[in-house]
Amino acid sequence: MPPRSQEPPVLDPVNRTKLAWSRTALGFAAIGGAMLKLSFVAGLVVLVLSLPIWAVSHRQRGRDAISQSPGYLRLVTATVVVVAVAALAVAIFGHSPDSLGQLLRG
Amino acid sequence: MTRAGDGHESPYDRHRDEARPSAGASDAAASDAGPPRAQPAETGPAETEPDPRFTMANERTFLAWSRTALALVAAGLAIVQLLPPFPGVPVGRHLVGIPLIILGAVVAVAAYVDMMRNQRALRRQKPLPRSVLPRLLAATIGGVATVAAIVALISATR
Repeated sequence: MPPRSQEPPVLDPVNRTKLAWSRTALGFAAIGGAMLKLSFVAGLVVLVLSLPIWAVSHRQRGRDAISQSPGYLRLVTATVVVVAVAALAVAIFGHSPDSLGQLLRG
Repeated sequence: MTRAGDGHESPYDRHRDEARPSAGASDAAASDAGPPRAQPAETGPAETEPDPRFTMANERTFLAWSRTALALVAAGLAIVQLLPPFPGVPVGRHLVGIPLIILGAVVAVAAYVDMMRNQRALRRQKPLPRSVLPRLLAATIGGVATVAAIVALISATR
């Protein structure tokens, strides 16, 4: 086993991962804020869901946290899918006069 | 790695310490350490917890794909809601924007599936499986760009 001083640093990966979570949370918050103008409820849901994602970036990482991370990752996936479904609903059934729903109805 | 004097212990340190063989520990001390860890099933391949750096890299890749998915959804929504209508092609914005929104949802789910497959491969010390995401993204964006070009051409000629 190599001496401790020769081992690669791991704090940088930890910090990079924290920053990646922060960027993701900020992205969700930005999308949620933008969606507030189009659909208040959907935007609010996305904004609220960005809070636990932000909390993940500040959690204490350890061996247990790593093995439990699929729960957090599932939350991210579920949130993106919720945003996509809400966006699809807004795009198709939105209130604008030239929404797809209005266009298809003639 | 623990930096000298900072008093912090990283996941890598814990992983390394737990992975270290217990040659120096007596059997009595080993029995005091708590219940034995669950052994992998004899029929399946042996699974060991991978180096946390690999797990974190896998997690960051997943997060990068998730942000890409979110950007696709936002781009699709912006195209449908904010772009002015194409003259002569009333559903032009929807032809371009809706596939991007659907692609965003597909990318999010596929990124999670990929991440789990990669983590399983890491645990089994097998080669990482090939991801379908880059090809899916390239093909769909290429298709959407082609549709956008056609819609723009049609609306320009009218």
